[in-house]
Amino acid sequence: MDKPILKLDKGTRCTAWNYSGQRLAAGLADGSLAIYDSTDPSSSTFNCTSRFKVQESGILKIVWVPPQYGDAVACVSADGALSLWEEVIKEDTEGHHWKMCKSFDRNTSQVLDIQFGGSQTCLKLVAAYSDGQIKIYELLDTLELEKWQLQAEFQNVIDLVSKFGNVSCQSASISWNPQRSEHQQLSFVLGFSSNTSPLNSPKVWEFDLDHQRWLPVAELSLPEDNNDQIYAVAWAPNIGRPYELIAVATEKGISIWHLGSNPDPDGRLSAHMVALLSGHDSEVWEMEWDMSGMTLATTGGDGLVRLWQSNLNGVWQEQAVLSPTT
Amino acid sequence: MPGMTSDAGEFGSLSVVPHSLDAQAARVYPLRTHRATPPFARLSISWARGNTLRVTLLQSDDAVSEQSVGGEVVEVKLAEADGGEISDARWRRIAYGSVAPFALLQSRKSSIDSFHYEKDWWEHVMDYSKEISSLLGNSKSSATPMIEDPKTVLRAVEEPTSVKAAWELLEMFYADKQSQTWIPERLLDWLADFDCLFSGTQPTVHSKLVAFQKELVTIQAVENHPEYWEVISSALAIGWLDVVVKLLRLHGSYMYDQLGSREIENGLVEAVALLISQMPRLRPDLPTEKLGECYNTKPEFMKAWEKWRGQITKLDCSAFWLQCDHQQTRVGLKNMLQIMLGNASLLSNVTCHWMELYISHFLYIRPFTVGLESMYSLAEKCMHLKPISNRHKLMGLALGILEENTEVVLAECSRSFGPWMITHALELLTAGSAQAENLLHEEQSKLGGICIEELHRLTYAQILSSHALTWNIAPIYLTSCMKQGMGLLENLLYNQPVQHHQVLLKSIEICRLNGLDRVSDDIMKIAGVHYWKHGKKGSAVFWLQQAQDDVRLNRIAKHLFDFVGKSVSDESFKQWEGMIELLGTESKTAGGLEFLKKYRDFRRSLQQVQDGITTDNARKAAEALISLMRNPSTPQQFWLPLLYDSLKLLNWKESPLLNVSETNILLNKLQELSLAKLLPGFVASDLPSDALKSVRLALATNLGRAFLLD
Repeated sequence: MDKPILKLDKGTRCTAWNYSGQRLAAGLADGSLAIYDSTDPSSSTFNCTSRFKVQESGILKIVWVPPQYGDAVACVSADGALSLWEEVIKEDTEGHHWKMCKSFDRNTSQVLDIQFGGSQTCLKLVAAYSDGQIKIYELLDTLELEKWQLQAEFQNVIDLVSKFGNVSCQSASISWNPQRSEHQQLSFVLGFSSNTSPLNSPKVWEFDLDHQRWLPVAELSLPEDNNDQIYAVAWAPNIGRPYELIAVATEKGISIWHLGSNPDPDGRLSAHMVALLSGHDSEVWEMEWDMSGMTLATTGGDGLVRLWQSNLNGVWQEQAVLSPTT
Repeated sequence: MPGMTSDAGEFGSLSVVPHSLDAQAARVYPLRTHRATPPFARLSISWARGNTLRVTLLQSDDAVSEQSVGGEVVEVKLAEADGGEISDARWRRIAYGSVAPFALLQSRKSSIDSFHYEKDWWEHVMDYSKEISSLLGNSKSSATPMIEDPKTVLRAVEEPTSVKAAWELLEMFYADKQSQTWIPERLLDWLADFDCLFSGTQPTVHSKLVAFQKELVTIQAVENHPEYWEVISSALAIGWLDVVVKLLRLHGSYMYDQLGSREIENGLVEAVALLISQMPRLRPDLPTEKLGECYNTKPEFMKAWEKWRGQITKLDCSAFWLQCDHQQTRVGLKNMLQIMLGNASLLSNVTCHWMELYISHFLYIRPFTVGLESMYSLAEKCMHLKPISNRHKLMGLALGILEENTEVVLAECSRSFGPWMITHALELLTAGSAQAENLLHEEQSKLGGICIEELHRLTYAQILSSHALTWNIAPIYLTSCMKQGMGLLENLLYNQPVQHHQVLLKSIEICRLNGLDRVSDDIMKIAGVHYWKHGKKGSAVFWLQQAQDDVRLNRIAKHLFDFVGKSVSDESFKQWEGMIELLGTESKTAGGLEFLKKYRDFRRSLQQVQDGITTDNARKAAEALISLMRNPSTPQQFWLPLLYDSLKLLNWKESPLLNVSETNILLNKLQELSLAKLLPGFVASDLPSDALKSVRLALATNLGRAFLLD
């Protein structure tokens, strides 16, 4: 059953749903942000409840802040700026309004992708920059989104010693391990599309609590991949599998990786590719796992939505294609 | 016609559960937009509740100029629970109704001991099956009209559903141990209830009867019409004896004015009717309106059968036929006798669907059939004789059952009847077949360590979670999953819109029932922060306290200090009093909040001093001041304002209210404060610049007076 649930304003460039699917934030080419809301949890009619100017250049990406930290979004603009906007009560009147609570410092490089992660008590923000740098910010105050601290900055390489200069990246993709347990270490996977091939392949970064630093624990690429440029990565929710599941999209197709949970003596996690799926022919735009981590939805340059699943024999295959028509 | 439609392009048929049997290429489903038109610059995807996918279609810039919209979001439900046959509201009733029987069966399963398992278990399964079956609709007519129309041969009943038909098939073959000995008769009953389902694309005996009944009203002397004899033979072939006898009694020879002239003819009709109503049946009992004589055991039945056949042969050879003048009656009745004697080609002629032919074989050619093996080969033979172009989904299921191929049964169940069916029918399958039980309960590493049964339950729960009206029953199914149910339940709860009060309460309740304290805390934190940011500070503090979120509560306490830490006369304090009251109810949760409560008490007594009351009140206020200043949880930023507000106490005219040691404590605090000014992070109060001086002076004076008093 397919049903249109809302129409977007002209010039919409990107959209993002909040954690419960009750609000949609849309970024526009003129630098505005539009918020669409439904009235009650069972309704699926959405109306635009606020629209406001965020910045001068168009918005390329919106990410919602986890709900434990309020109703807020991070916006990445076309010129690579990053700012946080939050819905709060107005001081003088009853109503709510959106106010900017943080604009991250600009340097020469642009922000390509961001994702929030972390535990219940600390919120972290990973940002990937066009100069190949990864920056991790930490929220200092659980009730205020204004105060952030740069916790770490590094390049996406397994060998921590090597440094690459003159890097130029077109895009990046970040996906946090969606686990919520306090016992597990924080980790995320990140891949680039850049002119410096060692940075491209997706690496799994894990926070080492003892030494308070981020370490690469796995690399999701085969030797013959030649560090292909990465379109997208997506870490599947794990509701009880003994291994983690990560999808990686490159020009070769969509590969599905199993990531072991027990590190070897060097602290590395075993990773092996279980499937290479071809479908979109061209660029893969987005990938998202469903809540059980069993179905992967992807969109790409062919203008289609594709759904992927593993069958009862453990073989990954394309399950369905959704083709837009009028 | 439900069940007959080809499923191309219907999302209802999109199987979320993978089958090992499917190997074909992925099917393409249309994604219909209303306002936006291709080409699209970008497609964006997001999973909403359960297995709902939301696709954002963004118009490309050049297309926008003519368009009024910049894009559209389309919501796609990737699978329906029932395979698309039943209306949404009715399906929700079924979903809700099946929760209790399912939960009861699960709890029985966990409590029953292995010794009794084999013996009694199927009885529990039958209780369960009957309850589920009754939810799926009543295929029998419920009310009988007071005056029966003699020309109503088929009673109009509620349109049965294929889901119900499928359920009854599964019950008959897997769950009901008692019916194992009379399966052919049960199949006959089943076909009587559900033959109409097959009428969609091809004729059936049912559709022939319906058509004839319409004509019946206008027909005089039915026995002259060939259709009359045709439908009688068909109904007889598939064992609808009551219909046959009723139709026979419409024969013209029964009319009062004709009885005399057509005596022999009438005698023959009645003799056939009598034989039909005496047909031996291998079954324990029959509903009252049905005809035939029941025999419980096979030997008794065989004896009666031989006798009955003998009577038919005898009637067939009777001399009365020669005296019967009405040719149609003679031919028609003779045909009926041939059917009852098991004339295979005749049976094939009068039946339409292979299922009908199949039943007629059981009735008249192989009345003693038992065992699935021979039943399957017979089914194959019948299908060969009556090939069908468009196979009804029930046929696939029936063949899978007869073939004893559990994988086919599973695949047919989930593909044709949807996740609700497979989830609930698995109980029947596992009860009835050891092979099925092994297949369903074996942990599969390829599925991430879960068994097929769990996979189906997870899938069904995910569909339930897709809808705001059914998500709250999903936990029943998830908690019956040994491995991954709780993980999915957590994810489900984390996605609930908890800023809606009802949803929040329901979520907390589910957490409590399932021991998910951590999730419950997280949910309450989300609600608390939402309320805090949206100005509902009381609710915020309440939920954060419930969540025992000390970090945020301390943060809120600090926030409150900034507001209450003004001078006594400040009106704003009043606004905060109620809030502090609320914080005070569970003051142990955070030290900072405990301070606020004490501070509130101090402010009250100080207020009374301001209003000019006695030394006793002043003394109490002074005690409160000392207690506050001694308390380590009193924030430093409050020290000076506290003392400054208490100037009146320090300068109390009648007698010094503080003794030497108490005054020293306060002086020490003042000293500490002066040192702290030099440290970073010091919060300066917005008191008059001479505040410190006047406090110091007051304390010094007080100290002097206290010395004198000692």
